Order: sequence, then structure tokens, then C-alpha cells
Amino acid sequence: MTNTLKAFGIMLATAALVAVMGLAPTTVLAEKPPIKIGFIHTMSGPISMYGITSAAGAKIAVEEINAAGGVMGRKLQLIVRDDKISPEAGLREAKDLVLKEKVDFLAGTISSGVALAISGYARRAKKIYMINIAQSTRITEEKFNKYTFRFTTNATPYFGKGPALALAKTYKAKKIISLGYDYEMGKNSLKEFKATYLKMVPDAKIIDELWVPLGSTDFTAHIAKMANSGADCFYLAGIYGGGELAFTKQAWSFGLYDKMKAVQPCAGDVETWGKVKQGDPYPKNALATCRYPFWAIKGDQNANFVKQIREMTGLWPSYGSMDAYVIMYAIKDAVTKAGTTETQKVIKALETLKMDTFVGPVEMRAYDHQAMMPTWYGIMRFTPDLPFPHITDVGKLGAESYHTVEQIKKVRGK
Amino acid sequence: MVWFLIAAGLSIIFGTLKVLNLAHGSLYMLGSFCCYQVTVSLAGVPGNFWLAVLVAPLVVALVGGIIEIFLLRPIYKAEMIYQYILTFALVLIIAEACKMIWGTGYHSVAVPWPFKGSVGMFGLSFPIYNLFLIAMGPVVFIGLRTLINKTDLGRNIRAVTENREMANALGTNVPRVYTGVFMLGAWLAGLAGSLWPPVSVVMLGSDMAVVIDCFIIVVIGGLGSLAGAFVGALILGLTTAFGLYLIPKLAVAFGFILMIIILIIRPYGLMGEPE
Repeated sequence: MTNTLKAFGIMLATAALVAVMGLAPTTVLAEKPPIKIGFIHTMSGPISMYGITSAAGAKIAVEEINAAGGVMGRKLQLIVRDDKISPEAGLREAKDLVLKEKVDFLAGTISSGVALAISGYARRAKKIYMINIAQSTRITEEKFNKYTFRFTTNATPYFGKGPALALAKTYKAKKIISLGYDYEMGKNSLKEFKATYLKMVPDAKIIDELWVPLGSTDFTAHIAKMANSGADCFYLAGIYGGGELAFTKQAWSFGLYDKMKAVQPCAGDVETWGKVKQGDPYPKNALATCRYPFWAIKGDQNANFVKQIREMTGLWPSYGSMDAYVIMYAIKDAVTKAGTTETQKVIKALETLKMDTFVGPVEMRAYDHQAMMPTWYGIMRFTPDLPFPHITDVGKLGAESYHTVEQIKKVRGK
Repeated sequence: MVWFLIAAGLSIIFGTLKVLNLAHGSLYMLGSFCCYQVTVSLAGVPGNFWLAVLVAPLVVALVGGIIEIFLLRPIYKAEMIYQYILTFALVLIIAEACKMIWGTGYHSVAVPWPFKGSVGMFGLSFPIYNLFLIAMGPVVFIGLRTLINKTDLGRNIRAVTENREMANALGTNVPRVYTGVFMLGAWLAGLAGSLWPPVSVVMLGSDMAVVIDCFIIVVIGGLGSLAGAFVGALILGLTTAFGLYLIPKLAVAFGFILMIIILIIRPYGLMGEPE
């Protein structure tokens, strides 16, 4: 008796399941298929905070767009994958997303190496790839391809040209001493900085250039030299992350920040200094660039975005999260404008894209597919509003801080 | 002066074991990560940094002991080139292991009590902790000298260094002395690794940056000579500082130039003895 009952129950349950499963496709079919976006980012490991906040930023935008009716009646669908900061893994995920998931767009990532690998694949697969963090100028200059777009600043406005413009607008230092890591990025940053700054402040001078081997964490001899050099300002070329932290600790303990002005391009982003508390060493009064000073941007939309990221991830919103949010709206605008998701037509629409975002107007430059995302600058201080040191007296730089089209033509040898 | 600790370890290992340990910088880096780990695990415990300075070098010494017994011992008889390959492999293995355990991020350790703050000296404020580090150099130097010249253990080490066959014949347990010396060298590297983080950061890549400087120090001073390592460290520090004052753009090359000059004039180093 119990057995028959059981069997009957199972049959009933199966029937119900089949009915539900049978129903599901019909409801989906009633809708148009979604526009799929493959979002590849570094979701695990020590720098996963970038990937996690970026994916959250993209998700917030997708939910907003879908709640407002989607794009031409189609919903956006985000598929997030982990590249583990490895070009091989990134490429594998990109291939899988395009071939298996049949995504319409690729987006994301932090490492320029991974971004270059995906960019190369995007060209072969004829899919649009939109970068939200990777900084190397090579992606949009030497290694440019028409399928790749970048919606974030690149190394030029961030490390060299931007800080020079900012210095000319703020401290206007006359005697500058530079300290850099002895490698390509360090040398390029100083070259860029020098060329821009000396043109704007003609009576200024770079009195000395100091270099340390890449990876070195002992700057004491250099700091002593800087302190006694008679300079009124120092500029860090290509020293960021751990090196910058080590330098700052030592410069702080030797009182260098009280002796002269400082330009530390990377100090503005929350990722390096977010864990530093009042009383710890930090680049006091240093002029810094920043890719998303969320504390200084006005408007409910920004405040709401910060709140949502905090709730979703428990982290401060990285610039990657803001860029990813902008990218989702760029997809919406471009597809709406093109009237289709067909790659070549969307590329045309993206090239002339002008957007109004919560960080201000953003324009795409057709020549190198570099969005003219703003770069902010300001003076590093503690204020009662935030638990970590951040840029204050914030100013904003736009297209003027990027390489000009003529400069890029020269780089590409055209 | 911290570099002296590492160079001293490198030098005594070479002096006794005749092994050029390329992985010495990696042991230093391992010490840094261990120090960071202990300070984090014991966050809030007073004196956690000093506990880390006690524990981390011991961990590194233990790792050193394992390396000596299981990896180096079987290949002493083989050609020198195999030791290079083995210790270079260790550089890669230790770096990857650190990456797996602690990730590619960077970590910071605060300046410990009672060495916070700085004092005014020659018109420049000088951090007290740096003074402490400078003092550590001579302290460790004298300690090591005493250990080698005045104790039984030291006598054994000197005997094995002088002539390993004869020492063996006279009843010294040569393999045990080898293990002990290697562990001592590793301990010094670990000590340097745990003393350095308060003025800097703990991060990957510091192994290679350090080991190159230490090789310069040891070559200047003479391989195998403790006093040589001490003098070499002083000379390299002064050369870098003066180089920065005279020709800042070329300061990066000064250490190497000095090394080349000494290799030409005195190929066995300032304090070394010709073979």
C-alpha cells in the first residue's frame, strides 16, 4: 500500500516537474532573446577586489537597464568569468563565452597582458571588446584593433601628462627632483611629465633624475639626496603599489613631506590607501591623480551607486566599478543607436558615442577607440568624512590629458 | 646594515659549505612573509612584532635545514654547476610558494614599540627604527665573531672550513656542522627579512632585488669572510649614497662598477684570501 502511494507520489511529482519545465521555454520564447555580455575579470586572488567591484558595477547598470525595459525590448544578460590574472585563462574564457555562450559583447579586465590577449581574440572572432581597467597605452596605440574600445583612463593621463597638467594648475613647482623605477614605464612617465610640464611652466627645472632598480624597496639613500637637493617638489615616476607604499613609509619617517611638495600620481586611488588609518604614514599633501574620487562627485546617482557597491561587496567602489557601469550604458546607447547588435554597425555607433554619465560627459574618440574618461587630481589629506587619506580640492582633467591623435599616429609610424 | 645580515649568511655558507646559495634572497623574502604572518595572526597582542622577529627567523632556519639535508647533501660531490641549478630552482619554488600562500599583493608591518618616531640629526629628521637597524649590524657582527672564534661550535666550524677531510678524520661530525651552518645562514636571512618590513613592505620580487646587492657586497668583501661582508656592506652603502650626490643618473650602476674594479685589482675581495 505504502509503496503504491510512494510510486503515485513520485509520478505526480515528475508530472509536475515536467509541466514546469515544459512551461519554462514557452515563457522565454515569448520574449526576445537577451543581449549577452561576457564579463571577464580577475575574480579571485589578491587583486580580486577590482574584479568583484567591477562585476558589481556592471550588474547594477544591467539591472537598471532591464528594469527600464531593456534595449529595444531585449534584456541584457551578464555572464561573469574569472581570468585569474592569466592571459591564457582570459583567452580561454573569451573563446568559451563567444563559442558556447554566443555572447554579443566582451568586457572587462585589469591586467594589460590579459586585455591584449582578449583584444587579439576579439579581432579574430569579430566581437566588440570593452576594457574597463587595463591601462597600457599599447592597447589603443601600437596594438590597436577596431574591435577594442577602452572606457577608462590610460597610463598617459594617469602617470605622466595628467600629473604635469595638475601640477601646473596647483603647486606650480619650479625645482623638481624625480625618482623613478628604472624600467620602461618609469622612463616613459618622466618623459611625458617633463615634456608637458616644462612647456606649461617654462621657468621650471627638473634638477635631478634619480633611478632605482625595479622592485627595490630601499629608498633611504635617495630620500636623503632628495631632502638635501634644494628641490621644492619631487615627482615619482612609475613607482606604484608596494614600491610606493615602501617609499611613502620611508619618506614619511624622514620628514620629506614636510620639506617639499610631492607629486605621487597613483596615490589618489582608494585601492592603495584604503586600509591606511589616521596616524599611519601616507603621502601627506601630495598631489595625486585619481580615476574615481567617489567622495568628491556630486549627485544622487553617484551616492546611490556608492551605496549599492558597498552593500553588494563590502568594499569601496573601485574606478573599475564606475567604468564597468559606464560600459553597460555604452552598450545600451550604441545598440539603440545602431538599431541592431550586428558588430560592424555597433562599432560605427560606438565610435561617435557621446554619453552623459554620473561622472560627467564622456566622449569616444574614433581614432584610437579611447573614451575620453576624466582623470581627477587633488591633494592627499585626511578629512572627517572618510577613514582613509584621499584627494581633496579635487579638479578634473579631460581629453587634454590624453595623447593627441598626432602623437598616436607617430607611435604607430603612420 | 640589514643587507649585511643577509650577506653574512651568504658568506659563511660559502666559506664552510662551498655552496653559492642563489636562493639566499628567497630565504630573506620568506622571513619577511613569515614576520608579516605572525604580526597579523597575533594582531592586538603587545610586542607581536618582536615575537615575529623571534619566530620568523627560526622558521626560515628550519626551512634551511630541510633544504640542506634533503636537497644539498646529495649533490656536494657533483660539480658546482648542479648547485647553481638546484639553488636557482629553489628561488623559483620559494617565490611561487610565497605567491600561493600570501598572494601577489603587498603587506605592511607597522614600526614597533618602542622605536616609533624620529630624532633630529644634522638638520634632517632620522627615524629611530633606522638607527636601531644600523645598530643591529655591529651587534650581529660581534655576535657571530664571538660564536666562531670563542665557542666549541665555532671551533668545529673553523675546522671544517679549513679542511673537511681532516676534521672528519678527527671526529667532527661534518654533515651536522654543514646543516648547522646552513641553518645559521638561513636564520640570518630570516632575521633580516623580519627586521626590514617596518621600514618597507612585504612583497614578491624583493628576493631578487636583495640578492644582487648581497652578491656585490660579498664579492667586494671577499667570499667566505665575515669581516669582508661587514666592510662590503659599508662600502656599498657609502658608494650608493655618494654616487647619488655626484652623478645621480648613474647611481644605479655604481655598485656594479665598484665590484668590477675590485675584481680586477683583488679578484678574491678586500678581506678574502687567494686560494
